[in-house]
Amino acid sequence: MVQPVLDVVGLKKSFDDIHAVRGVSFHIDPGETYGLLGPNGAGKTTTISMASGLLESDAGTVNIYGEPMTTKTLDPKAKVGLVPQDIAIYPDLTARENLRFFGKLYAMNKEALKTRVDEVLEVIGLSDRADDRADEFSGGMKRRLNIGIGLLHGPRLLILDEPTVGVDPQSRNAILESVERLSDEGLAVLYTTHYMEEAERLCDRVGIIDQGEIKAEGTRRELLRMVGKADRVRIAVSGGSHNVAESLRALPGVTDASAADGMVELIAGDAGEVLADVLRLVTDAGASVMSVAVDEPDLEAVFLHLTGKALRD
Amino acid sequence: MSAAVTIALKDLSQRVRDRSVFIIGIVAPLALAFIFNAIFGGGFSDVGQNITLDIGVVDEDGGPIGGAFGDILREIEADGLIELVSYDDEEAGRAAAETGEVGAVFLLEPGLSDAILAGANAALTVVGNVDAPTTTQIASSIAEQFSLGVRRGNTAAVAALISGAIGTNDLEAVAREAGTAPSALTIGTVEAATRQLDPSTYFVAGLSVFFMFFIAGLSVTSMLDERRDGTLGRLLAAPISPSSIVGGKSLTSVVIGLVAMVILIIASTFLMGADWGSPAGVALLVVAVVLAIVAIMTMVGGFAKTAEQAGNLQSIVAVTLAMLGGTFVPISGEGFLADLSLVTPNAWFLRGLGDLAGGSIGDVLPAFLVLIGIAVVAGAIGLTLVRKAVRV
Repeated sequence: MVQPVLDVVGLKKSFDDIHAVRGVSFHIDPGETYGLLGPNGAGKTTTISMASGLLESDAGTVNIYGEPMTTKTLDPKAKVGLVPQDIAIYPDLTARENLRFFGKLYAMNKEALKTRVDEVLEVIGLSDRADDRADEFSGGMKRRLNIGIGLLHGPRLLILDEPTVGVDPQSRNAILESVERLSDEGLAVLYTTHYMEEAERLCDRVGIIDQGEIKAEGTRRELLRMVGKADRVRIAVSGGSHNVAESLRALPGVTDASAADGMVELIAGDAGEVLADVLRLVTDAGASVMSVAVDEPDLEAVFLHLTGKALRD
Repeated sequence: MSAAVTIALKDLSQRVRDRSVFIIGIVAPLALAFIFNAIFGGGFSDVGQNITLDIGVVDEDGGPIGGAFGDILREIEADGLIELVSYDDEEAGRAAAETGEVGAVFLLEPGLSDAILAGANAALTVVGNVDAPTTTQIASSIAEQFSLGVRRGNTAAVAALISGAIGTNDLEAVAREAGTAPSALTIGTVEAATRQLDPSTYFVAGLSVFFMFFIAGLSVTSMLDERRDGTLGRLLAAPISPSSIVGGKSLTSVVIGLVAMVILIIASTFLMGADWGSPAGVALLVVAVVLAIVAIMTMVGGFAKTAEQAGNLQSIVAVTLAMLGGTFVPISGEGFLADLSLVTPNAWFLRGLGDLAGGSIGDVLPAFLVLIGIAVVAGAIGLTLVRKAVRV
């Protein structure tokens, strides 16, 4: 069995009478991108604050590669790169100086640090602005530097807390591409967001969190299946489709089908898996396919189903 | 430790970058030195015009010079500046100065008049009380003026003075006419149970310490600023102990504080002729007082939740301790205020410099140890409080 990069078990945290986190458990395997999806105030930031050793938990454990993570332990912290939600850089230092300072705190030696700073500047696209002060940067560039600092020391786990909040679409896409690239390179990532589309795009598995609890967890498909959500396929046809509905219903993965007035409709757990067979049956029945539309339910629907409210409520 | 140094170097770099280190460490001390020079550089003659000071006199001379000096003192007494008390012998006079019965005592040694009239050297000694620096300075100044008159005059002028042919007010004019003459009367070293600082040095030192409180306050306010800006969370997420963060911030204040003090000492020495005393002794006291002040400001800042709160609290404490410690008005004599002043690093620093003036480096040890004690106690409390503030 592979040892998880991050293993969170029964985490609890209260602030006076407010129970911010109520028994959260999840794990992240090497190379996996795990998303915590929930609205503002769901407990995402409190959870990752405990996961990164910034905050002591009231109960539960956090382990990084089997080593307990607390506010006092140092070794596990060296394996984690944190990218906080708010931009946490020194505006009066240059990009290079910011990176170099944090690299020194992670005890990187001089030569390795110099090389790594150049690498990270390249990764975050700031090589040509390396010696400019951070307060001269655009919001997107500051965001990228914010991520670069988290990457600098070569962490085994990168924790990103809503890194695209308040970012313009272009910078947002650049950030998402960076995370995808890092994930492809095998870095384990814990990504919190309240943007459903980001979680769907980036995450191998998603934990739906609300009111300090993980309501459900799994791959996107698992979550959709868990709550009974399926794809709706609509095929516009001309001629010969009236007898096809019964054959379609017999296909594995198709739960319902109907055909009338030049339109074939069916419900499938995963449209992608059955679409080829569906189209073959329709054309075999003598119909010509004019167009195909697939409506996939999303995590927004899952969240609504699980919590009774929308993600942005 | 290396993390603390890294943080301190980063902070210093930021202070250089935003120029605050130049303002706090160089421009402000120099500006203060110039202001001090303008205020105190011309002497100390204005001080005490509206107050009455208790000064004793022991006339064991019994001759005409002693008598003339007594006449001068009585004239000054008539003007209301001093209240004169006579003592029979040196022992009684010294005891009166020691206990604070009077702020200072003039000792006119036996045979003073005979020696001067014979053209030989003689000494007029001033004994000051440790807690009465102003009185001691004024007494010293009176003695200096009398000595100047005697030195500038010749025996004939002095004799004329003694015989009553001329008044004391005419002494300098007679002396000018007579030209310079060999020194006849010298002022014995101003003595006190603890030696006194000259006024310029006293006020420069006092105000420097007062100024130091605001530099030292940076240690906590900088940390609270980092918490507000989110960078403290990043520091805490790094594999370093919270103590390194507090240590780094304190180290920054200590370095800037020491630089500022050195600049102020050098500037006041050359611009104002301030006499700080033995460099080694001054160095000990400066290091100790900077550590004590950084510790106190860390402790005070530990009660604050924001940088603004910390700044306000620290300002109140800085002004209060400066007033209690005699920075603005020297605290003389005995009593509650004098005792209370001893809880302040300001008073101990000034006392240490006073002990050092004309003394040896060993004389600063009591003040040095007290200041280090303050640093240790306040630092321990401060670190406990501030470590709680080192959180996201």
